[in-house]
Amino acid sequence: MSHTEAIRARARQLLEEKQVSCVIGYEVGPRGRTRPTFIYAPDQIDRLVWNSACTHNLTRYLPGRLKVGKPGEPPPRVAVVVKPCDSRAIHVLLAESQFGREQVHVIGVACEGIMDARSDGGQAELQARCRRCRERMPVLADDVIGEAPSLPAELDPDEDLARLEAMTAAERTEFWLAQFDRCIRCYACRQACPMCNCPICLFERDDSLWVGIGIRLNEKRAFHLGRAYHLAGRCIGCDECERVCPMHIPIGLLNRHLAAEVNRAFGFQAGVAPVLGPLVTVLRDGEVHP
Amino acid sequence: MNVITRAGLQAWLQDLADSRRLLAPQVVEDVVLFRPVDDIRTSAALDPNAPRPAMSIKEAFFPPTERLMLIEPQADPDTPGRRRVRLTETLPEAEQVIFGVRPCDARGMAVLDAAFLEAAPPDPYYARRREGTTLIGLACKEMGPSCFCRSVGGGPDDSRHVDVFLSETEEGYVVQVITERGRALLDGVPLSESDAERPSSALSDPIAVPDPLAWPAYFEDPFWGQMSERCLSCRICAYVCPTCRCFDVRDEPVESQAGSDRFERLRCWDSCSSAGYRRIAGGHNPRSSEGQRLRNRFFCKFYYYPLQYGPSACTGCGRCIDACPVNVDITEVLGHLVTG
Repeated sequence: MSHTEAIRARARQLLEEKQVSCVIGYEVGPRGRTRPTFIYAPDQIDRLVWNSACTHNLTRYLPGRLKVGKPGEPPPRVAVVVKPCDSRAIHVLLAESQFGREQVHVIGVACEGIMDARSDGGQAELQARCRRCRERMPVLADDVIGEAPSLPAELDPDEDLARLEAMTAAERTEFWLAQFDRCIRCYACRQACPMCNCPICLFERDDSLWVGIGIRLNEKRAFHLGRAYHLAGRCIGCDECERVCPMHIPIGLLNRHLAAEVNRAFGFQAGVAPVLGPLVTVLRDGEVHP
Repeated sequence: MNVITRAGLQAWLQDLADSRRLLAPQVVEDVVLFRPVDDIRTSAALDPNAPRPAMSIKEAFFPPTERLMLIEPQADPDTPGRRRVRLTETLPEAEQVIFGVRPCDARGMAVLDAAFLEAAPPDPYYARRREGTTLIGLACKEMGPSCFCRSVGGGPDDSRHVDVFLSETEEGYVVQVITERGRALLDGVPLSESDAERPSSALSDPIAVPDPLAWPAYFEDPFWGQMSERCLSCRICAYVCPTCRCFDVRDEPVESQAGSDRFERLRCWDSCSSAGYRRIAGGHNPRSSEGQRLRNRFFCKFYYYPLQYGPSACTGCGRCIDACPVNVDITEVLGHLVTG
């Protein structure tokens, strides 16, 4: 049975047995592009697919759907199709009490990596993040689709991160400001991110309390660095922020840099287990608020 | 037809870059953007295979952020101890030439003109930039996979809305003077007479576009809610669009001056796709759902704008189709209205 057939069979059962109200998965649109889809009834099941372009991290849709509940009614429950990287986002969201474990049925897919969408018609290749990744199975799932594929003999080293870490602070500042300069403040990175779920983003307050509305370098620096700090110890590295950026800003690199610092300082990787990140959220071992 | 050789074009553009502000497509990292050019050889201006710039030329007229006025307290000469507020209008200086303007972006300027210039009161900031800018258009040799300019009143070789229009041939570029401003820009530039016909662009089949009057019947269509389920409510579609022109205005302290009491009135891009765009005093939001917001974007392009100004506000450039992270597709919306 193909992954697509297996996902459809599971989705059909979940909907027919009314275990969930909706299955969040992938479909192929009229232009042939794979995209998120929302399935509510068995007769829509055939839209669901699994292919090497299932890049979107669908857990992004969970807090918005699961936090709303009506008094007196059972909390909403949905199913979601996840890759191993996406599954770690659910751990973080659970640890941060965004919804209850019983509210989500996780259909995890064994992952061989996702291909880069090429608009120029060239030969598709594995996304850079997948060439560095050794995860093949979801860290949490109610169903697992597929067997664990074999790992490639060698993973790509993170050369961009090595280059960044070799820079002086001044060089890094220069590098990042040149990148942020292209930003148009479209907020696609934030909107695609499962961890960016604040009801009101501090960078978009009506009163300009922390940062103004300008789409200028100062505001863009505040936005990107501020967002990166908020993701330190929380970002699970799905790289959706970087994929969606219309200006090709290497936002994932910024997040990997902070994740590496968190790992060095705390021996912690986000999403491996459903526990809160050690940075800014937890004080322990005699740590006190300054 | 008048023809300019490749070397002649390069020399002309370098002259323009040396004598004034010249914007042309440049590769910045791996994104093609209109940027000021110093050395034409380092730009992507003359690369016939350069992809469509990621952003339209809109930002050269309606920048992402601009100061509308400076707000400064001053001592009141008549009443010691009291202060007055001085407001200084800050109109832009803008003598510039833009090279490599695609027909879809040029038509976008006509759409913006109708809203910013032709409807009273005209916008002085936009008007200054528009008056100071000369557009050198470039025909697209073929239509890209997401292009549908032909379906919304344009075409890959549509020479309207620019000052000079170039079409690439084997000998160089066929030059068409469209306006007096274009003629002046070409003054002294060596052109040769040629029998060459203007080359024709490869055309894709047009798609069906519904009549503006067909839209109101679809206002309550559940389609909007379904389409918007995957919408991220980001602003990519509006910001890459050559005709989206919504903005927010706010008074903020002049940056980088701690303790300063100078303020500026800023105008910045905004988008109807963001959740806060339509929120009003008291917190009510008449477009609180993603579906309502997405619907507004398409109604604005194909119904509200035509109702107020004339032709549709979409130029078929296809940027929103390619840049949308979740494949919300404007042609799919049009198809839905055509097939019902």
